[in-house]
Amino acid sequence: MPKPATDLSYLICDIALYDSENAYEKLFKSLFPALYRFCYYLLKSRELAEEVANDVMITLWKNRKKLPEVQNIKVYAFVIARNLCLNFLNKHSKRELIFLEDIDVQIVLDSLNPEQILINDELKKKLEQATEALPNKCKLVFKLIKEDGLSYKETAAILNISTKTVDAHLVTAVKKLTAVLKVEFNLM
Amino acid sequence: MKRSRIIELLARKMAGEATPYELEELNMLIDSYPDSVYYEEVLKQIWLNNEQDEADLPDVDRIYQCHRLRFYDELTTPVPEESVPFFRQYKNLSIAVLALCLIFFAGLFYIHSNEQDNFNTQLIAGKGVRKKVKLPDGTLVWLNSDSKLAYHSDINNKKVRIVHLTGEAFFDVAHHESQPFIVRTNKIAIKVLGTAFNVKAYPVDQKSVATLLRGSIELSVNERPQQKIILNPSEKFVLQDGQQGVMKMDSQDITLMIEHIMPIHIGGNEYIEEVSWKNNTLVFHNESFVDLKPRLERWFNIKIHLGSSRAKSYRFTGVFKNENIKEALTAMQLIKPFTFNLSAHDVTIY
Repeated sequence: MPKPATDLSYLICDIALYDSENAYEKLFKSLFPALYRFCYYLLKSRELAEEVANDVMITLWKNRKKLPEVQNIKVYAFVIARNLCLNFLNKHSKRELIFLEDIDVQIVLDSLNPEQILINDELKKKLEQATEALPNKCKLVFKLIKEDGLSYKETAAILNISTKTVDAHLVTAVKKLTAVLKVEFNLM
Repeated sequence: MKRSRIIELLARKMAGEATPYELEELNMLIDSYPDSVYYEEVLKQIWLNNEQDEADLPDVDRIYQCHRLRFYDELTTPVPEESVPFFRQYKNLSIAVLALCLIFFAGLFYIHSNEQDNFNTQLIAGKGVRKKVKLPDGTLVWLNSDSKLAYHSDINNKKVRIVHLTGEAFFDVAHHESQPFIVRTNKIAIKVLGTAFNVKAYPVDQKSVATLLRGSIELSVNERPQQKIILNPSEKFVLQDGQQGVMKMDSQDITLMIEHIMPIHIGGNEYIEEVSWKNNTLVFHNESFVDLKPRLERWFNIKIHLGSSRAKSYRFTGVFKNENIKEALTAMQLIKPFTFNLSAHDVTIY
């Protein structure tokens, strides 16, 4: 789904200077889906994910006067989301401390059109199984880049790792996928 | 080895992070291993599916409504308006007198219907302050520094929505088919149905300027109400007084001009000078210090004294966004040689 290119910096200017709720509504609608999805990966609950994504947005509003100083609003929002999720998980876990790599992330290669010849249900299942075994951070990287179209740099900032690591994770994920294809199509 | 490299490059390409060299290398590799085209095809299909959560994800409009209700207190910021209740002065009088007054006013309203402007609400943006407000009819107004907008709080129920402006404002008028929106200034009146335009009418300026971004507006000069001027998008109307401060004008003394607005390019960005202020950006293009003086004074809330006649004729092009007056003047010094002396609210230019 190609999103309309909303100029976030323009919205942020309106929010910070004029307390524009109108601009906030637009910002909300453009950030919320990705935030919700990200929180859902981490928390595995729709209700909790919605709750946290809501909290992230209102935090942006409360700090609106400082927003123009933020370099990348998307990264900023994701980092707040990451921290809120980890806080929540830590508060409700019996274990000592939970880190990002402890969180199990599921990769779902969903909703491929039936008329797509190359990928059938069986292949899809195989691809999913193959990626399932990947390390959690690797899956998170794959999801953020593929689904939210984030850059290496943004993903690195959100997950608090280097861009080199992001690259390595992504390459690993794609290799896993192509390994399945190799068998399926008798390639190379 | 090659295969592994192909996949590595494919991954980067999908992520949009491959360099031109890597893309080149990938193409060459795919040429020599034609089978690998399949990888790319299938990966592309996996990659393109961003819609998967569409069905999962609850409707954002609904979520926003819930969000709004939940954080109502945080989200509702006090509207910066100074409301002057019409009847406050009668507070201590008896109800009978109040009733009489009401009847009197009702009669007055009735007789004058929509002719007389009755304003009970005034919005003020002080010097150096810019404000954005929403009128009860949904119209958005950006008020520039040192400007006032007066209207009736019951604007929604009027046959004609009338506001009075002193200074400069940008209007994004909510479209109401049967209720024209009229902006009056001391010199011109502008009638619209629903559109976005800028009006600049500072009492101290010799020029009144209306700039239209979209839609169309009908404009008339107060001194010649019978003559209507229609503006098309991207046009601006300029009314120039013959003599500064002379309000009573002969027809010969005023000049009417319609100009085309052109975006100007400064430092690789495109600006529309007339409306950039509403995005908190001061843009000026080949303007003399004398013309720039009132704009800078309002923008930074200072008083400027032009000490040297040489400096008066200097011309400047530039963009200010977050600079304070000192930074701004220092930047201008790079263009033309002058010195300045800055005290609390005064600047003297030599």
